[in-house]
Amino acid sequence: MEIKYTIQGLLIYAAMGAYLLAFVMSLLRHRKAGDILYLLGFIIAVLAFGYRWYDVRHTPLQNLFEVFLCLGMICYPASFFCRRILQVGGRCADMLIGAIVLFPAGFIFSAQPQQLPPALQSWLFVPHVAVYMLSYIFMAKATFQAISQLAGKSYDGDEKLLPPEQATYRMICAGFPLLTLGLVLGSWWGKLAWGDYWGWDPKELWSLASWLVYVGYFHFRYMFGKKHARINSAWAIAGIAAILITLLWANLSRLFSGLHSYAT
Amino acid sequence: MGIKESSKKKFRRVVMWSALTLIILLIFLSVYGAFLGAERTQRLVNTLPLTVYWLSFVLILIAGLVVFRRLVRVPSLLLIHAGCVLILAGAMWGSDAGHKLQEQLFGIDKIRTGRMVIYEGHTENHVLLEQGQTPKELPFSIHLKDFRLEYYKPGSILVYMPDDTTRRIPAETGSEHNLGGEVGKVKIVRTFERFRLNIEDDRREAIDAPDGELMPALEVIIEKPDGSQLKRYVFEPSQGYMYKDNFQMSYLRMISDYISELQIIENDKVVAEKNIEVNHPLHYGGYHFYQHRYDAEAGQYTVLEVTSDTGLNLVYGGYLMLCIGVFWQLWLRHIFTGIKLKKLRNTPPPINWGAKYSGFLLSQE
Ligand code: HEM
Repeated sequence: MEIKYTIQGLLIYAAMGAYLLAFVMSLLRHRKAGDILYLLGFIIAVLAFGYRWYDVRHTPLQNLFEVFLCLGMICYPASFFCRRILQVGGRCADMLIGAIVLFPAGFIFSAQPQQLPPALQSWLFVPHVAVYMLSYIFMAKATFQAISQLAGKSYDGDEKLLPPEQATYRMICAGFPLLTLGLVLGSWWGKLAWGDYWGWDPKELWSLASWLVYVGYFHFRYMFGKKHARINSAWAIAGIAAILITLLWANLSRLFSGLHSYAT
Repeated sequence: MGIKESSKKKFRRVVMWSALTLIILLIFLSVYGAFLGAERTQRLVNTLPLTVYWLSFVLILIAGLVVFRRLVRVPSLLLIHAGCVLILAGAMWGSDAGHKLQEQLFGIDKIRTGRMVIYEGHTENHVLLEQGQTPKELPFSIHLKDFRLEYYKPGSILVYMPDDTTRRIPAETGSEHNLGGEVGKVKIVRTFERFRLNIEDDRREAIDAPDGELMPALEVIIEKPDGSQLKRYVFEPSQGYMYKDNFQMSYLRMISDYISELQIIENDKVVAEKNIEVNHPLHYGGYHFYQHRYDAEAGQYTVLEVTSDTGLNLVYGGYLMLCIGVFWQLWLRHIFTGIKLKKLRNTPPPINWGAKYSGFLLSQE
């Protein structure tokens, strides 16, 4: 646990606070106040990310501190896009997701600026990480919808929004191409940096496993449609579990020491 | 329903179940491999049972393309599935077994992967293979003009404080850092690349000796809390010296790049030239050459990783098809359907993607 008594830290805590308050307000059905606080949280998260960029003078997507900071920022636009364009609800959960993804940046990972090791100096670095980030947000939203489906919820109270099973599918449709692109860019980069497009190292394998879970989801759903809706949802939840392991376990645990271990 | 029709459906069902089983097996294999570690997994996936598995995967994908007409008719689905076939085929063609097969079938004797150690100013064409195997020769040679390391500037001083915390201060010449009550101030006076201490008539003088051995160091002045001043030298940890007092210091320099200046020589002529660095390999004669390691002590030689490019174009072609396919199938098609529906109804769409599949095993298409 590391509390940051810096401007960077304060900005993160303020954004987390705004997201959490927004969540509580929405739960208490103060919709308007919730929306304003959520927007405020987003603006502070943008400031926190911008401040970091200025501080380290390269795109801040190098370590887990920066990755989570970025996630905390893109939650809001992703949530807005999903509701308006994709008709997928879960706004209240999005506020909570925002606070949760900022937690590791605020309390767990060190904000010590680092210089890029040679392997990370590639133009593929930013797109590889950025598309993964965005896809993780979509997959997190898919999971929320899958859990709603398992909990027996039908609509989000809004006629225009999709029921959870279909919303899960739509979110996975949104996230899967980005997940695929992230994997392919990573593989291409691996070829340039390490000499092989596939090294079988634990982080690669976990990311392959998460990608394959969604491949399995598509084919299972194609085979059975909505007959086994609960199993469809279970696939989506298994997907995010594999993603979380890819993101955290392989980096944190000393169980696996692989090529990606410098990315802690 | 004719017998032919119903057996076709049965076959489709078998293909789909096999596909799902193969996908699930690969998920388990990946997770198992993550526990095994890269090297053992690499060996595992190249064993005979796994070769059979990869071949089955390709076969089931091809069977899918044959029995599900939509997989060929819908271009995005074709790109996805044919892309996967190419990736797997390319990977197998470029594997150890693939190289052996090409040697037996076509007499192509190519090194799959190995290392080259080249000293500065020397020319080499031997590739070291795994332990116990005799080195092989490339049909051309590589000359190393120069190898150099580049560092981020400035480096930094790592300070181990009396209270067991650490602090990192930038090693900028002329800068002064107040480290607090117990330690005092540290002023960075001078930077050395090749530090040497000249002792003459009891006078000691630190110099940067251009012909000396590499020994990066910093000259610092420590102003103690009682006002006394000390001149001291701080070295990199690898030199074995550490400044010690009630606090300790060492000099850290972070490498920003490793660069090997290479020339490819064929029939005594230079046919290609490139400075390779991490993320920028050299491609020549069916091989990629990577900056792999270097002589950490004296910077006299470089170690290159050599890999054959066999099958790589297939894999990259497959990647491209797969990426175009998934974006087309899962993003663009839905957007177009949405726009079409919007035009039809002239009302805000619910694009009913989710309802598209009623389930093929239930509806039988
Ligand atoms: C192993 C053999 C495979 C078979 C037999 C197979 C078969 C199928 C079939 C029949 C469909 C439904 C097409 C339709 O909409 O009518 C489909 C969809 C799909 N497949 Fe495969 N597939 C296989 C492997 C893969 C792999 C390895 C991937 C990895 C990317 C993949 C990705 C997809 C995607 C993204 C869809 C579209 C899902 C959707 O639109 O909801 N498939 N596949």
